[in-house]
Amino acid sequence: MKQLVLVVIFVLILITSLVKNSTKEIEDQIFVINENIRPLKSEHEDVLLEFNYLSSPEKLVQYQTQYFEKDLIKIQIMNIKEIIENNETLEINDLISKNSNE
Amino acid sequence: MNNKKNIILEEYENEFSYKKSKTNLDIQFNRIAFIFFVFLMISVIYSIQLVHLGSLKAEDSKEFLTINKNHRADMLDRNGNYLVKTVKSIDIGINPIEVIDKKKLLINLQLIFPDKNYVEITKKLEKNKFFYFEKKISSDNYEKIMLLGDKSIKSEEKLTRIYPQKNLFSHILGQIDDDNKGISGLEKSFNEKLKQTNEPLKLTVDTDIQFLIREELVKFQSVFRSKGSTAILMNVNNGEIISMVSYPDFDLNKREKIVDLKFINRATKGVYELGSVFKTFTVAAGLEEGLINTDTEFLNLEKKLQCGKSSISEYDNKIPSDLTVEQILIRSGNIGSVRIGQKLEIIKLKAFLEKIGILSKINFDIEEVGEPIPFKWGKCKLATVSFGHGITTTPLQLAKAYAIISNGGFAVEPSLIKSELKNNQQKKRIIKAGISEKINPILRKIVTTKEGTAGLVNIEGYEVGGKTGTAQKTIVGGYSKAKVNTFAGIFPTSNPKYVLIVLLDEPKTSSDYVYEYKNKKGSYKGTPFNTAGWTSVEVAGKIIEKIGPILATKYIEN
Repeated sequence: MKQLVLVVIFVLILITSLVKNSTKEIEDQIFVINENIRPLKSEHEDVLLEFNYLSSPEKLVQYQTQYFEKDLIKIQIMNIKEIIENNETLEINDLISKNSNE
Repeated sequence: MNNKKNIILEEYENEFSYKKSKTNLDIQFNRIAFIFFVFLMISVIYSIQLVHLGSLKAEDSKEFLTINKNHRADMLDRNGNYLVKTVKSIDIGINPIEVIDKKKLLINLQLIFPDKNYVEITKKLEKNKFFYFEKKISSDNYEKIMLLGDKSIKSEEKLTRIYPQKNLFSHILGQIDDDNKGISGLEKSFNEKLKQTNEPLKLTVDTDIQFLIREELVKFQSVFRSKGSTAILMNVNNGEIISMVSYPDFDLNKREKIVDLKFINRATKGVYELGSVFKTFTVAAGLEEGLINTDTEFLNLEKKLQCGKSSISEYDNKIPSDLTVEQILIRSGNIGSVRIGQKLEIIKLKAFLEKIGILSKINFDIEEVGEPIPFKWGKCKLATVSFGHGITTTPLQLAKAYAIISNGGFAVEPSLIKSELKNNQQKKRIIKAGISEKINPILRKIVTTKEGTAGLVNIEGYEVGGKTGTAQKTIVGGYSKAKVNTFAGIFPTSNPKYVLIVLLDEPKTSSDYVYEYKNKKGSYKGTPFNTAGWTSVEVAGKIIEKIGPILATKYIEN
């Protein structure tokens, strides 16, 4: 009985040390990944800032007058349709339905 | 002779014998117990303290966070676009005392920065006092200058805020000083939070809509030559501000000190007498108290009323003498509004205006908020307040009040910060059910009927409703000729989602501008009257025409 208890304790210690060892390895991997993500995140933020500036409404209006003055036209809201997927069939409705009371 | 005297002492019997007192008190044992008790108490106190520290919530431990001097969180719009971003920049300074060979250093610097004024730099070097040589240096030049290996060249990391949308959100975002301290706008009111958190602050505003509204304000600034203008677009159900523009504005990237009053945030700080837009509140208060209904008739209305030294008259003499409540609001009748106000009496009208947040200073996300001018209520004041004169408020509070009146009577708090928590909160009713259902159709008729004053905002597809307000500006001891023209609109009136406020500060008529009629065919050249119906309503119409498709397609609620 005594021996059995000792064996159990020894096995538990062994398992604990193995688990601890593997978690340590995972922790190291997480740390390395985090460290690699950090500069990428910073780079992504800078690119996003540049994108936000270049695609700002002011810039888009500038590009429109520069390149697409005649190609881009304004669509009336009453002409915009809405596609609704309904049991494998597509239903096309007006986005804004004209009020019958008016 | 030998008388010997013998003194015989009786044998002394000492009866004293030391005995231990037989008390029940065991001193030795109690001393040890006492020491143990003291130790026990100390350990209990220590354990309690440990448990307390361990149970502290994350929020409570905020105060222990160290504030990084060179950190400030970014701000995003509702679609995740940057409104302000922190970037690290490096300033290069020179400490002349540490320079070994001044001539050699100057030659090297001239090679890297050929465009600098070296006469001045030489003078600075002679003074033997530290000076900044180049601020916000580029990474290429930083590498080159550091490769010189001169001990006198010092680099200093600084924090810089970049505003990619330039002027667009100047009044909302505000500015910071050189010590990373917010001095206006959200930068000031959220100063500590921005310094402590790593997560960007997400706002409710939409960059595209803000741009389109600002563009219209800029365009009509030149048409109506106003001193300034403002527009607010807010969700009536949750108080989220989608756009808030105050013009003129300024480029935040220039980091200028703004002292000129013309740059004031008119949307929140400007306190104005707004005129007839208040008539909606008088009618709503009457309906709330059950004193009137929309079809209640007011007969034999005078054309002119005398109150003290001043007189109250209709702006249009063609207004009939017999009007229903609905007609009073549609035709913007002054005398009819006074009659409703008199029915309400001071207590009820005042309580209603307080309930919808008109009379007191609003609690808002930025600190630049104006306070309505307090006044003494009386019979004449009641009469003038009924049609929106002699009472002041800010455009932001006007937006809030129109939101409450049109959304079914639920309380809303205007906000610039996006929060899911707010959307999940249960709505609190502050106005009786059914009032909005009565008011909204009247606001729609002001736009659709020929008697209404806001026909120019009748843009097809959006069911716009609203009320105009033309007020003279107050000066010491009376009124000036300068006007404040306001339009307070809601759309779509069948199920209101947005409130739009457009205010023009001191507009003038334009002889060249061509109006396209909305309720009939044809156009009209030149502004016939300097009223809100011909100025701010036209601006509101153009704004809705531009932003309408975005609102209808981008913010479809499933």
